[in-house]
Amino acid sequence: MAEYKLLLEHSDDTAYRTLDGYRKKGGYKALEKAVKMERQAIIDEVKASGLRGRGGAGFPTWIKWNGLPKEKVGKKHYVVCNADEGEPGTFKDKQLMEETPFLLVEGMTIAGFATQGDAGFIYIRGEFIDAAKALRAAIDEAYAAGLLGKNILGSGRDFDLYIHMGAGSYECGEESALMSSLMGERGMPRLKFPHAPLPTISGLWDSPTLINNVETYTCVPFIVNKGGEWYQTLGAATKNSRGTKIFSVSGHVNKPGNYEIEFGTTLNELLEMSGGMKGGKLKACVPGGSSVPIIDAEMCGRAVLGYEEMSDVKSMVGSGGCMFLNEHTCIVSFIWRTAMFYAQESCGKCTPCREGTKWMLQIMERIVAGNGQPGDKELLLEVCSQIDGRSFCGLGDAAAWPVAAAIRVFPEEFDYFIANGKSMVKSSKDLMLVP
Amino acid sequence: MATVAATDTVNIVINDVDLQVPKGELVVEAVKRLGHEIPIFCYHPRMKPVGMCRMCLVEVGFKQPDGSVRKMPKPQAGCTLPVSEGMVIYTDTEMVHRDRKGVLEFLLINHPLDCPVCDRGGECPLQNNTIFYGPSTSRYIDIKRHAPKAFPLSEYVTLDLERCIQCGRCVRFTEEISGDAQLAFRFRGAAMQPSTFKLTDFDSKFSGNVIEICPVGALTSSKYRFRARPWDLETSEGLCLECGNGCNVWLDHRAAKLVRVNGRTNEAINEEWTCDKGKFGHDYYNSSKRLTQPLRREGDRFVPVSWGEAYAEIAAHLGAKSAALVGSTVSNEGLFCLQKLFKDGFGSENIDHRWTRTLPAAGERVAKRHESSIASLEHKKTVLVFGADLANSQPIVHLRVRKGWFLNETRVVVAHSQTTDADSFANLLLSCKPGSLDDLAMGLERAVAEAQKTDVQGFASFKDTEKTTSVKESALREVAAMLLEGNASIVCTASIYNENKPVETLAALAKIAAATGAEFNVYAEGGNDEGAMALGVMTGRNTHEILQDCAMGDLNALWLVGADPLTLHPSRRLAEDALEAVPFLVYQGLLECEAMGYASIVLPMEAPGEHDGTYTNIEGRVQRMQQAVKNPGDGKPAWRVFSELLVRIKPGRPSFSAKEIMDEIAATHPAFAEATYDKLEKEGTPLKPVIENFYM
Amino acid sequence: MKGQAQMYRDVVKPLLAGFGITAKRLGRKKVTIQYPEELREQYPRTRWRHFLTRYDSGLERCIGCSLCAGACPARCIYVEAAENTDQERYSPGERYAVRYEINMLRCIFCGYCQDACPTGAIVLRKDFELANYERSQFLFTKEMLLEEYPGQNLEPHKGKMQGTIALKN
Repeated sequence: MAEYKLLLEHSDDTAYRTLDGYRKKGGYKALEKAVKMERQAIIDEVKASGLRGRGGAGFPTWIKWNGLPKEKVGKKHYVVCNADEGEPGTFKDKQLMEETPFLLVEGMTIAGFATQGDAGFIYIRGEFIDAAKALRAAIDEAYAAGLLGKNILGSGRDFDLYIHMGAGSYECGEESALMSSLMGERGMPRLKFPHAPLPTISGLWDSPTLINNVETYTCVPFIVNKGGEWYQTLGAATKNSRGTKIFSVSGHVNKPGNYEIEFGTTLNELLEMSGGMKGGKLKACVPGGSSVPIIDAEMCGRAVLGYEEMSDVKSMVGSGGCMFLNEHTCIVSFIWRTAMFYAQESCGKCTPCREGTKWMLQIMERIVAGNGQPGDKELLLEVCSQIDGRSFCGLGDAAAWPVAAAIRVFPEEFDYFIANGKSMVKSSKDLMLVP
Repeated sequence: MATVAATDTVNIVINDVDLQVPKGELVVEAVKRLGHEIPIFCYHPRMKPVGMCRMCLVEVGFKQPDGSVRKMPKPQAGCTLPVSEGMVIYTDTEMVHRDRKGVLEFLLINHPLDCPVCDRGGECPLQNNTIFYGPSTSRYIDIKRHAPKAFPLSEYVTLDLERCIQCGRCVRFTEEISGDAQLAFRFRGAAMQPSTFKLTDFDSKFSGNVIEICPVGALTSSKYRFRARPWDLETSEGLCLECGNGCNVWLDHRAAKLVRVNGRTNEAINEEWTCDKGKFGHDYYNSSKRLTQPLRREGDRFVPVSWGEAYAEIAAHLGAKSAALVGSTVSNEGLFCLQKLFKDGFGSENIDHRWTRTLPAAGERVAKRHESSIASLEHKKTVLVFGADLANSQPIVHLRVRKGWFLNETRVVVAHSQTTDADSFANLLLSCKPGSLDDLAMGLERAVAEAQKTDVQGFASFKDTEKTTSVKESALREVAAMLLEGNASIVCTASIYNENKPVETLAALAKIAAATGAEFNVYAEGGNDEGAMALGVMTGRNTHEILQDCAMGDLNALWLVGADPLTLHPSRRLAEDALEAVPFLVYQGLLECEAMGYASIVLPMEAPGEHDGTYTNIEGRVQRMQQAVKNPGDGKPAWRVFSELLVRIKPGRPSFSAKEIMDEIAATHPAFAEATYDKLEKEGTPLKPVIENFYM
Repeated sequence: MKGQAQMYRDVVKPLLAGFGITAKRLGRKKVTIQYPEELREQYPRTRWRHFLTRYDSGLERCIGCSLCAGACPARCIYVEAAENTDQERYSPGERYAVRYEINMLRCIFCGYCQDACPTGAIVLRKDFELANYERSQFLFTKEMLLEEYPGQNLEPHKGKMQGTIALKN
């Protein structure tokens, strides 16, 4: 299958970044439609579309929307957008916010209508200054045109939208940590269901809160406009993944960038879209951002992009940060760099993640330095198993999966590095130089 | 079998045993009902659970309709998971044991393992859990994390970052319990460390508690540093008499020397906390200035004498024209014997224990000084703190009021002319001009009267009140409305007697309380001041009059019982004149002090922990403290001195033990009827309310 | 005759046999030693008097942890610890024993203190001459227990040993 441009259709059109240009291309039709719809009808439409969270977990979006109290009980409702895109390898939200900011604004406004939201917060990663500027301009224009603020489109309903810049913590992309950070607390994850009520009941300031990824919200205007039934037809070949998904292709490919595809496209097709491999044959691929398990070339050959389909090759769609690695890549060094990232980004709240990521990094460091000890591979696996599922939030799991998967898929590389003190791959010098 | 309402309990299974537990109870608490234990570090029953240490991981499943159990894919933290219907909990599976081992291995890889030199060694939860659940060897061969050893966080608390396991108990304590939020985590990941913001001093009135709740030796006491190991220590149940709260403490002593004070659980008073005054203010026990033997003035120096000689000297000089001034740490028994000695022995009634600016006469005193018990304060809807700096003078009351605000949505109103610690969480702040608390009380009385539509004639207008106090009418009305909602408590302390027109202020507040149905409290300040009030110690001349009489030469002798007027009395000049002029001065005390220089006879006294005795706390709870350590010298408890001296003057049978005196007190004072040693309860026995027809 | 034979059998013969043994042993090596001029060699694991050992640098091994006192079944060890400073350093690390006393009257020489010691500071050696005339002399203080080391006499102050060992922190 070829590229299917839905969200990114007008991304090259600079006029699309202004309200007029956006409206000319059919923008805000969905909001106009949504204003006249029943709240539940919007949610039903999202349900019919089969839209699932694009942030990585793939949780059905309508369940979250439906989870907020139908009648307000003295508390405000909040709509939060998770734009803290920190996953290494993923850069789709950046493009969406910079080039199609109105899609996000409109999507969040519709979400606010469907869930009786009083205010929306876009929590943007601190480094995304351009994205924040683009959104700021879009929000200002929307306010001026009466598409945000008081009495939107004469509906008698109000919705305010705020931008909050993060301070550069990967952990704050985790939804509960994001909410802590948004409330001015230390960016550490909070208790989650079943330990505490769901955010849809008690989130920001103990109020019902809807939290979704940027890409999820940007899909909403299309779903409302063209109907959930139509959206449902996209990706119909897969088991349970509907619609389009933007994959951020990077690594040793000729044309890295964001590619929007229908679910059901194969990984090979995605590789072809991005111009094929550069500098050597395909060796491995990390299909969904650095935290998902790595797969080898053989698995790449039969990988179909879909939430359930990817588990057939023991990996995940994740947030869609697809990294292709060529045959000159040293997997051990690659994993060392990944481990370094997670050791640095652990928030320190829970023991397994705080101590485990550091320990994994120390083991990887000594292997890469040529001082690997016999048994280090088994020790790494053991440490991974002590982190995976034991940590407070998903960061611990995300730190353990790539290491465990790399050892599972490429055990001989680890064995060789530990035994000989150097990489199996000759020209891995370039990667070794990465800090 | 008692029937439990179905909505309040849920059926769960713990290790294949079915049981019912209250809905919403945490798993870590629920398993205790079967005698199981889940190891913990970060969890503390009095603080909100966070699930940081992951030590309490258990396997959890849910019963399916077909009877099978569907286990959750990941182990769950028992300290944060509330039980729900059909929950199946396993605390003893192979996976759980493996996880505990894993967490402990992680905690220990960066732990310095310097247990032999660590003050926590021997009573350390990390040691205990490692022995029970931990791995016996480590697979960690890299370099451990290093940090400065023994960083002084404050005068009292030493931080060793290498030992820290980042459980966050200390951080949460300062946020949730003490409320000063002095500690926070800095940095992230493996570098995360608790510390004060910007490395300032850990300036808290409750900092000592973090030492006790730290599950490792990261936070240790600077005062107790290297003084003893746990197995060297003997410990006794004690009471803290630094203020009138009557906190229960453990007195840890080694080789007859008091080395450490720790909080002892008493749900009715201090729960398990102590304030820093109580925890670290015990230096006097081992002070080099302790008096060890009776002394007699000879010219310009003191010579040691025997107790007999001292008694003879005192008996020869004290008579009807003598008086006694008492400090706040004398036991009920001591006060009673002193009263008896002066009344029966010397024929004088001049005893007083109060040191405030205003000393209300018998008719002006507030009869009900403690309508709210300390524990009840956390369940009040509204607490009006009037003219009191609770954190300083009543630290445990402060913690209770804050707990009510933090957990039970108590609305706190602080009315004071200075800033207090309670301001930080007060829902409404009535900060008035200095010296205008009386006007504020009247203004409040008017606001209550207006709200109840009763006659407001004779009151100052709100405008005048605002002029004198700077408190606005709207604020007063708001407070009145809050008090009228019911379940309110007005909290004052005896420090109000240092303000202008305290009698009128208290009368106004009492009327407000009566009109709104609020409970009214004027808590005593000193260690056993409430006991002195309940025993009716002040009978004849009051403190000011006694000192004036001394200065004028109207009194022949003055006995200072554990009190130094030069530091306690508001007018140092009067105190100096009095001590200068009085012909015969007996100083009975723990330490050498300035007033001792004027004394004719000096008697060493035993510290509270050195003899048996009972003390009455601010809420009228009589508690007994038994002897913990021995007196370093020849000191005697106050009651024994008084009782032995009485025998010399008026031959009879002396009291042999404190128990005997307490029986006598119970027989003569109806309020103490239930407070004999045989009947005293574990948490202390509240005084029996005695209806006195005072003017209120 | 009968009397003579009996005399020979009962008196002379045993006498000669006895002297014979003496005569035979005269040439052998003597077992009795001239204590106190001579001291017998002790067995290698003999446990007698305690010593507090030092590192080669002269720093004391004892860190004042009181584990020996905890292990002691006779409760005859008393340890009081204090903090090392850079000016006044007795042992490596934070803590040292400012008082270390053993009541030798109570000690049963079980060696548990040696087992418990985490630094190998307290050891029981072969000095067994512990008799004394006064009971108070049986209270062995730290000064009595500390072993000598080569440079001891050169040190003006026993505690001040700066720069002799690479210390942590």
